[in-house]
Amino acid sequence: MGSLCSKQRHFDKPENEENGQAAEIERRIEQETKAEKHIQKLLLLGTGDSGKSTIFKQIKLLFQSGFGEAELKSYTSIVHANVYQTIKILHDGSKELAQNEAESSKYIISSANKDVGERLSEIGGRLNYPQLTKELAEEIGSLWNDPAIQETYSRGNELQVPDCAHYFMENLQRLSDANYLPTKEDVLYARVRTTGVVEIQFSPVGENKKSGEVYRLFDVGGQRNERRKWIHLFEGVTAVIFCAAISEYDQTLFEDEHKNRMMDTKELFEWVLKQPCFEKTSFMLFLNKFDLFEKKVANVPLNVCEWFKDYQPVSSGKQEVEHAYEFVKKKFEELYFQSTSPDRVDRVFKIYRTTALDQKLVKKTFKLVDETLRRRNLFEAGLL
Amino acid sequence: MASTNSCAVQGGCPTDYVAIAIAILSMMLLLSRSVFPCLVHKVPRTNGSGFWFPVFQVFGSFNLLLSLVLSINFLKLEKKHWWTSCYIWAVWFEGPLGFGLLLSCRIAQAFQLYFIFVKRRLPPIRSYVFLPLALSPWIAGAAFIHAKKAMNHRCHMGTRWIVPVTCLHTLYVVALVGCTRSIRHIEFKFDELKDLWQGILVSSSSIGVWVVAYILNEVHDDVAWLQVLSRFLLLVTVSYFQLYDPSQASVLVLAFFSMSSSQPLLAQISLRRREPSEFRSMGQALGIPDSGLLFQRDPAPGVDSSDPLDKLLLNRRFRQSFMAFADSCLAGESVHFYNEVYELGKIPTDDPVRSIYMARHIIEKYVVAGAPMEVNISYRARQDILTTTNLADPDLFSAALNEVMQLMKTNLAKDYWSSMYYLKLKEEASAWSSCIEVEGIGVGGNFSPRLSSVHGAADDPFHHDQYVKPGSICNTLERSSDT
Repeated sequence: MGSLCSKQRHFDKPENEENGQAAEIERRIEQETKAEKHIQKLLLLGTGDSGKSTIFKQIKLLFQSGFGEAELKSYTSIVHANVYQTIKILHDGSKELAQNEAESSKYIISSANKDVGERLSEIGGRLNYPQLTKELAEEIGSLWNDPAIQETYSRGNELQVPDCAHYFMENLQRLSDANYLPTKEDVLYARVRTTGVVEIQFSPVGENKKSGEVYRLFDVGGQRNERRKWIHLFEGVTAVIFCAAISEYDQTLFEDEHKNRMMDTKELFEWVLKQPCFEKTSFMLFLNKFDLFEKKVANVPLNVCEWFKDYQPVSSGKQEVEHAYEFVKKKFEELYFQSTSPDRVDRVFKIYRTTALDQKLVKKTFKLVDETLRRRNLFEAGLL
Repeated sequence: MASTNSCAVQGGCPTDYVAIAIAILSMMLLLSRSVFPCLVHKVPRTNGSGFWFPVFQVFGSFNLLLSLVLSINFLKLEKKHWWTSCYIWAVWFEGPLGFGLLLSCRIAQAFQLYFIFVKRRLPPIRSYVFLPLALSPWIAGAAFIHAKKAMNHRCHMGTRWIVPVTCLHTLYVVALVGCTRSIRHIEFKFDELKDLWQGILVSSSSIGVWVVAYILNEVHDDVAWLQVLSRFLLLVTVSYFQLYDPSQASVLVLAFFSMSSSQPLLAQISLRRREPSEFRSMGQALGIPDSGLLFQRDPAPGVDSSDPLDKLLLNRRFRQSFMAFADSCLAGESVHFYNEVYELGKIPTDDPVRSIYMARHIIEKYVVAGAPMEVNISYRARQDILTTTNLADPDLFSAALNEVMQLMKTNLAKDYWSSMYYLKLKEEASAWSSCIEVEGIGVGGNFSPRLSSVHGAADDPFHHDQYVKPGSICNTLERSSDT
């Protein structure tokens, strides 16, 4: 991938009158780019399903006007779509496991729910989903509670079950209400694959209401085909917020079911770090989905992922979670220093533990990010 | 009795030099004809078999001619140099790297075509595996001859050796004939069959001339002029045949369709006598009705945002506007994919050949991992398409299309309604009947969160180009229909 970054050009002082006009033009260009320059460019990068768009939504909630009623209403169809898709994935998954597994009996759906399951699977395969009525919600609920489906759900890491499955299935009653309006939490849980690039511009207004920096935040798709589009955004980036979902060490990619997600994240992080455009860019690594990580570590050992194969559990419970988290953090730090050439070691690199669904945590984290970037700006300007 | 110093034996007769000149001329013509379209029209290099087969064929032709020149005593060369060794030229360069390579490429092409059009599935053996496999008998034979030192000092093989060698050559021509016969009933759109038959004609004629020359030389070993004449004729005819290399058609066709349909036209200039035809997309090339008329002007009826997206996309103006919006925020491949699958759907089911061309084009452009406009679909959908057993299946892309439509609905459509492109569409629809002068469209308020500008970031920091320029709406409409 060729270097699209323009190197910093230092304009020499014009020697004589003939260069006067050229210098004037150059000065004007510099002024304009400086006007543009005080807008700090932030990129949200990461693999698919790592939480970038959720962080994006949180930023919108925190620093822009938030979600108006029209926008909340527009999420109704998405929430319902998530419900139908989830139940279809679970139903089809249970059939597949029943065929391929040795102990197939525990994946066979009870006869009462069989027809319901087939019908829901057919609905889930349609292009336009029906309205989620109370009857449908009840059927979905009963299928969800079927032991075969629960068994399949416990093997959800082998299928592409979205992380919001549990949350939406537990709230079916509310979701199927005739006057249902999605709450902020519903909107944050809703899963939509991003395609292309989305941006917002915002200013993290502090408590003293004085306008601080202006940030332009770009959200992108994380699947492999989307990554080729990233290159268009790489120029002039102040900071890259790299989201890595640490709970997906036992899952496979949406676009390639033979590749482990954590390994893909590792390779992608390496690739991003080595980009020539990011010589002076600050890196904020968000180790995301900590809430899911907490629950998973107790049941699934970290060693299932090749990158973490030298992990040794020491204790149990909360201590173990912390120990596991520190291990993962250390791995990412090692990876950072391995992939950073000596001339780039002075760029900022910080790791944050996040749960993108938790608004308070994201607000606190972003404040830290903002502070770091401001300090960096002053440092660059030579004032520190 | 020919003296050992005559030019008939040693080489260097005037006719020899003439023949060499003709050979060099034909090689240069061949090279220029292969390279010229790529350079002039700036065709991007395609990867895959479409590129490498013609390259190998040109390489093979070159080697064949070179081997003929250097092994049949055209030039007065000292046989002591290692690089004038008979074995290198007459055995290795003529066999595995020349004639064998040419025929193996053609057989591989015919094999691919057989799988795609007769069996209707993607070929199970990749061409980079098949080609070495087809070359292996040649390599084995050449190694055997070299090891047994079967050639005499005049670079001739005894009759014992000539017969198996001729058999190998003929065997491959027969194999090519067999492969071509298996696809002879398919009506190809781009003259693939004609090119294969021509290739067979060329190869068999070459063998025929060579056998005749050999027999004459062996029978009348002492007649000097016969030797000179026969080798002159051999080189000239082989050079002439190589000029009829039909592989160039495939270079043009495949390089051309690898460009995205949003790029400007490429005139398909053929250096043979054919009328130049201009195609913008595969759909047009296949003669699908209404292809490419996306750009024609069409009164935009009121577009109701509450209609489901799949219904709205059937409206051409809406589709164009939506496609432009998607392209602007780097998500255009989904809409282009939808468009091409829609065109595929227009091909009647009793015409499997055209469906297969279109399906293959869609797969190469949108589905294969690493494709130029790869779409965002799941692993299962992709594998189902790549391992299908029926390329002409009308429902081949329905699962993938479903996923792409869901993506467009939940992701792009929401942002489209508040974007500039939709506003422009509404303006055009309302101003269509009455061509009113509009001073400037004041657009304010809530903007689509999609990219304001990416490509123009360097030259357009204040996004002025985004806004519709003031002027007559009628002119805008006129202009957009002429593109």
